[in-house]
Parts: sequence; structure tokens; C-alpha cells
Amino acid sequence: MVETGIPKLDEFLGGGIPKGKSLVYYSQPGVEGEIFGLQTVYGTLKKGGTCVFVVSSTMPEIIKDQIKEFGWDMNSYKDKLFFVDSYNPLIGAHSDEKYVVSNPDNIEYFNKTITDIIKKLPPSTIVFGSLSTIMDLCGEKETIEAVRNWNKLAMVYDHVLVYNFTAWPYSEQTLDLIKGSLFNSVITIGGIAERVIFGQYFGILKSDWAEVSRKSMLFRVLRPGGIRIFIPKILVTGPFDAGKSTFVHALSTRAISVDRLGTTIAMDHGHVDYKGFSADIFGTPGQERFDPIIKLLSGESMGVFLIVDSTNPSDFVRAKYMLDITKSYGLPYVIIANKQDLPGALKPEEIREQFHLPEDVPVVPVVAKDKKGVFEAFEVLIDRITGGV
Amino acid sequence: MSDTLDMVDKLLADLKNVGGVMACAAASRDGLLIRSIMQNEKYVESLAAMSATMLGAAETATTHVDMGIPTRVIVESDNGKLIVVGAGPNALLILLANKNSGLGLILLELDKSAQKLKEILT
Repeated sequence: MVETGIPKLDEFLGGGIPKGKSLVYYSQPGVEGEIFGLQTVYGTLKKGGTCVFVVSSTMPEIIKDQIKEFGWDMNSYKDKLFFVDSYNPLIGAHSDEKYVVSNPDNIEYFNKTITDIIKKLPPSTIVFGSLSTIMDLCGEKETIEAVRNWNKLAMVYDHVLVYNFTAWPYSEQTLDLIKGSLFNSVITIGGIAERVIFGQYFGILKSDWAEVSRKSMLFRVLRPGGIRIFIPKILVTGPFDAGKSTFVHALSTRAISVDRLGTTIAMDHGHVDYKGFSADIFGTPGQERFDPIIKLLSGESMGVFLIVDSTNPSDFVRAKYMLDITKSYGLPYVIIANKQDLPGALKPEEIREQFHLPEDVPVVPVVAKDKKGVFEAFEVLIDRITGGV
Repeated sequence: MSDTLDMVDKLLADLKNVGGVMACAAASRDGLLIRSIMQNEKYVESLAAMSATMLGAAETATTHVDMGIPTRVIVESDNGKLIVVGAGPNALLILLANKNSGLGLILLELDKSAQKLKEILT
């Protein structure tokens, strides 16, 4: 198995890409699809694999710069990463790379180099930086024939082949083949504009080794960092003095609050970058006089933390009401049983009982001020938002 | 989607070109950033959230005392001005102006842009 290096995608694919298989990242024009191939290069190297990156649309130096921008240390993988340069010959420049395609507008020259690599190198991950560029230069039919052949060879020699492909207006037949039978797996990458959420998503269109769930995930590209699953809004709500702000600050990589006299009057806003996820956290005020603002700001949430003070069961009614005004029913939510360190704190099971909660709603014990349990709670909620595998 | 975003980018770029404007951003009414032109990108998401809170709080406050819906929120400090205007039911525009700039032209252009943003997003 080779890991794609993209959070959740490996999980969806049952661990990654098995040896001998091919995969295409099929992007709409205008989205950052080409990063996916690069992320897979890094995913392979990190696990000790060997990688070949076929550079077609820009200079290898630029790719190396991009890698630096992502903050990935490539020096330690120098002997494990090879470039195939098919760009410099095109513009008539000299190339220092080990492998060079001397005539990149003729598919035969590609064939020779790629076949050579497949036969000589130990099982590796071979990533094509831009299949669409090769197609533009060598012709659609010719390129598809060659790809079909490389995929077969890779199967026999136990390589993993990964292609970045941008769906420019090629012939219907070509696009159908690429989305259909040509590869073992197809990952689609596109953009959405749903009301005011603008974003990029990826989803699995097909995979012949894993059961495909049709779910798609929003992502964004962080520099440094790479591809992160993006969750634009997670709401943190709960009654007065339950510890909402403390929770937001404990969880966030960076956070700000609008506090007066020790209570939140406007909101808390935090940003979390954790285990391949990037999320923005909105914390509401708890006191009833702020309810109009809560209603205003709670729209478009993708999940909710409901914070309760475990020592104060009289507030549970208010807590339930807050789920109501934030219109959180129907969204994935997790109950945070805060202040577990205090004497008289109810156990999660007791809270569930007093709350009359359905069995499937998680109640997570937390001590927000000591950051105890906050990341566990984050993982539980993320799992529910992403449909946990 | 890229078309819509391109239009938002163009609109923000035009607004940024108005004399005295230091930065501007578009956000949703509930505080999610759509796009921005800003020096310090790191805090722009928080700015979007806080600006939406201010405008929302202002609307709640004025409607409760029969003042109707506010046209805009202007925050003045020693170092500059922060202006937030609604742009239709779903979005708002945020603008940072330096302290010496006159507001006349800026407000005029800001209102025009808000109208455009409303059209773009519907």
C-alpha cells in the first residue's frame, strides 16, 4: 500500500493505493488539483517509498520550490525522489535531472523513458505532474494508448501510477475513458459555490479495490502544510459559565475572544489545525440576553459542540434550548461534559440520562482549563461530520 | 464557482483602488470569509467573524428601538476606520480606511460595491 498523503482519502480507499494499481486525480479547471499528486509524492516518501515525479508543465526547480513552500523537508529523501524532466527540453533548455524526455511532443520518447523506469526501478510510486499537458503535446489517442500500456506494465512490476489530470474540453470519448475504464481509481476534484460557502472538494468516483462511499470532502491548501480537510464552521455553544471560551482556546491553534467582566459578549473565534483537518470555531455567548446574536451567527455550521458544566444539572434545560436556537438539531453534535475535575461532577452517563439523550449522541468528559479531552472531543465530532469510517 | 469568485475578486480589487482604502473583504452574514484583499491574511477570518457580529449586534440593537435597519457600522480609532455594510441578505462588505481619508467617496463606492456583491451572490 502507498498512502496518498491526503487525510481521510486513505481511509476511504481502505488504507491507500495497493501496489500495481493506477489512480487519477481528475480536476475541474481552476481548482488546485495538481497539489494532490505532489501530496502523494510526499505521502510515499514519508513511508520510506521511492518516488518518480514526471514534470511536464513547469521546471523541476519550480516543483522543488513548491515542495519547500509546503514545508516538506526533501533533503532527507534525496536518494528516494527522482524527476523526469519533460519541460526543459520543450523550451530548449538544459536539464540536470537524471531522466529527461528529449522530445516531449512525441509519445514514443515518453514511452521509452517511462517503460525504462518501470522495468528498472524497484516498486515505486510514479506520479505524472500533468497528464493533460502530455495529451496536449502528443495527442489524445496516442497518450491514452501509452497510459493503458504503462498501467499494465506497472501492474506486472508492482508500481503505483498516479496521474494529475485537468479536464479541459477534450473529446467526450477521452474524458469518458479517463473517468471510466482507463484507471483503477478516479478521484474527482472540483469547486462548489453553495450559497456563500465557496470551496474545493474531492470525492471518490471509483476505486476497484475498495468499497466506494460517495461522500465528498471540502479541502483547502495550506502553505506550509499541504492539503487539509476544511470545515468552515464548528459552533461551540452552551449555557452561561459552562466554559465555552476556555474550550475554544484550549482547542485552537490561535483564538480571539470578546470578553467583558469575565464573560463572552460577542463571540469567540478560533482556528484549529489538527491531524490533517483545518476548522474554524465559532463560540457563542451563553447568556440569554445575547440570544439574537447567536441566531445570527450560527448559520452554515457543519457541527456543534454543546458545552455543559457537569456540576450544574439545573442548566441542562437551557443547554437543550441553545441547541434549539442555534438550529443545531439535524447537525452532528457532541456534548462536552466540562469541569470533570470538580467535586460533584456528574459522569457522562449520568448526564446522558438527565438530558434524555439518544444513545448515539456522544458525551465526552473534558477538563477544558487543563486541555484534557478537548482533542478527543474534536476527533469524535470530526468523525461524525465526515461520516466516520 | 470560479466565475463567481472572479467577480468577487474584481469587485474587491476595484474597491481597494479607491483612495484611502487599506484593505477590504467580503464575508457571509454569519461570519464566514468569502474573499479578501488584506496585508495580514492570518487574522482576516477573525475579522470577518467579528465584523459580522458587529453588524448583527447593531441591527438587533436598532430594530429593538424602532430605528430600523442600520445602513452601516463605522468604527473609528486613532489609526484608522473600519466600515461594515450589508450586501443583501447573505453577505456583507468590510473595509479598512486610513485615518486621514475622507469618508465621502469611500462610502459612495462601498455602497455601490455592496449593491454589486448582492447581485453577484443572488
